[in-house]
Amino acid sequence: MTPGSERGVRLARDVEPILAVAGKLAAPFDLPTMLAEVVDAAKQVLAAERASVWLYESATDELIMTVATDIAPVRVPAGVGIAGSCARTREIINVPDCYSDPRFNREVDRKSGYRTRCMLTLPLIDHKDALVGVMQVLNKSGGVFDRYDEALATALAAQCAVALQRVRMTEALFEAEALRQEMEMARVVQMSTLPSTMPAVQGYDVYGTFRPASMTGGDTFDLSLLEQGFLIVLGDATGHGIAPALSVTQMQAMLHTAFGLGADLESAYLQVNNQLAETLPDDRFITAFIGLLDTATHHLRFHSGGQGPILRYAPAAEAFTRSKVTSFPLAAMPLKTLRSTATLDFEPGDILILLSDGIYEYHNAQGEQFGEQRVEDLVREHYAKPMAELSALLLQAVQDFAQGAPQEDDMTVVLVKREAAPTEHQSFERRFDSLQQIFEFTAAAFARLGIERDYLHAIDFTVEELFTNMVKYSRESSAAVRLDLTRIEGGVEATLTDHGVDRFDPTQAPDARIDLPIEQRTPGGLGLHLIRRLVDAIEYHYSSETRQSRITFRKTAGTATPHEGPAGTRENDAQD
Amino acid sequence: MLKIDFGAGGAVEIVGRLDAAQSPAVQAFLDKVQGTVTLDCSKLEYVSSAGLGVLLKTQKRLLGSGGKLRLAGVNRHLQDILEYSGFDQIFEIIPNG
Repeated sequence: MTPGSERGVRLARDVEPILAVAGKLAAPFDLPTMLAEVVDAAKQVLAAERASVWLYESATDELIMTVATDIAPVRVPAGVGIAGSCARTREIINVPDCYSDPRFNREVDRKSGYRTRCMLTLPLIDHKDALVGVMQVLNKSGGVFDRYDEALATALAAQCAVALQRVRMTEALFEAEALRQEMEMARVVQMSTLPSTMPAVQGYDVYGTFRPASMTGGDTFDLSLLEQGFLIVLGDATGHGIAPALSVTQMQAMLHTAFGLGADLESAYLQVNNQLAETLPDDRFITAFIGLLDTATHHLRFHSGGQGPILRYAPAAEAFTRSKVTSFPLAAMPLKTLRSTATLDFEPGDILILLSDGIYEYHNAQGEQFGEQRVEDLVREHYAKPMAELSALLLQAVQDFAQGAPQEDDMTVVLVKREAAPTEHQSFERRFDSLQQIFEFTAAAFARLGIERDYLHAIDFTVEELFTNMVKYSRESSAAVRLDLTRIEGGVEATLTDHGVDRFDPTQAPDARIDLPIEQRTPGGLGLHLIRRLVDAIEYHYSSETRQSRITFRKTAGTATPHEGPAGTRENDAQD
Repeated sequence: MLKIDFGAGGAVEIVGRLDAAQSPAVQAFLDKVQGTVTLDCSKLEYVSSAGLGVLLKTQKRLLGSGGKLRLAGVNRHLQDILEYSGFDQIFEIIPNG
């Protein structure tokens, strides 16, 4: 047999297991199984007694051999020993007599009692030319490894390298997927603590919404009617990954437990803070606004642990006010006592605006932040719209501003608006002939606003009195006089506004002497005397800057009623 | 609109709203009446202080010549106004029957 034909026979004999190995290695193994397969294949193909695989860890530039699952892996720096040298040079090293090679570490044999005679060491390099590890095959049965073995081993090593790399990548993917699933779960739990529908709150328009960032974020909000009042919460937990989602979920659960057990705002805040301080890791905290609104008195009491800005828009004054936070963030450290509770009183039309920093700090592609000014401008323009619509407009404005820049943090909107008082107004020319129009307006406005019709006479009488005064005494102005009618609790409020006039305060006019004999009585001063008795809370405001007079008065069930008239008069009432 | 005229029973009937804009017309009508006059207010929907002024001026004139102005059909609104102004002491108010 010629050496060539002998080689052909060997090739035929050896290709089969290599192909079998290739097939096996294509299966989706985990790393330990894959390593065992590689070692088995090497022993079989190269007729070796033993084989081992070192995996290369680029982060530490080390080679690692996992001998058995219960023994700590052996680590050697790349460059050290025969395996390390192979990792450095990326060349096959065929050592026929290990004990005569200075690179050989006899210590391993001494410990195991095994005697290594010859050794073939070759690099495992993947198709992207990256070092995956080093394979070592020991003690060729009946001799030493020859050139042919080197060729076979190289073929095998190429297969193994790719397979190992694939397994590593798959494992990394699995890890990422596991993390993603874990995160998704945490997010589902986080979202489940949010109100699914907005509660119907008498006299208020409330809206909250949560727009999660794709990866991490820890916002939460709550709008719930509790025994203690209307609960308003906006929370934002720090940290990355699933931690913030879990933190705020925990906070919400604690809050509801505390309130459910009858705690007041102060003790609930204190208890939740202290429990969170105990359970959350030291570097985590939650900024949170927690408030209870009495919807009957419109009095809001709150604590805010680092959650700001606490913005209130008052449409009547066309002004924003900011409340300060009352404390450091929740869970930052335990609290023994609280600072005094902050309060805020809602006037009709007032809006409380709580937004998480995911909105204020949203960066566009130019690195500019959305900021507070844009929020203010938007609220100023759209405050009269329903809160759900205002929220949508706000989020749309953020999206428009971002110009495709990704959302990096959760965005949460909480809007609480005390409904504006129902109101109607009309302006009238400054002449007596306008009275008919005025009375048509008051009658129609009463009907539209659902104001008690019994009050119409008093309002008409008073409006006429004040309006005719304006006509008589402010002849130099040609501006129209504006009348506003507003339905208020138990009655009506009217405001007459007159422009371009001098100060004339009818509330300062003296009462008419109604006890005088008829000869001494005059109609003058009688009107003002009467309106003081027909309506209440007549207030006069004058602005010298705009030369504007404003007179406001009210007629409610609380207005002093006249003493009982004769029976005949009351019978006549029925015909009214 | 406001209407004022003698009714079938001899009383002066006033119908509608007596506000500042309507007062001159009412004043002109009442300036012509003499003696004891009954003003039927049952269809007077509304009266302002300008209207009260018209009534006061008329009452003063009639009292000066031995006559007077009596008010009939006074509704609650008018009653309130008359009481608040002390005019219930100046006018004879015929109870609704």
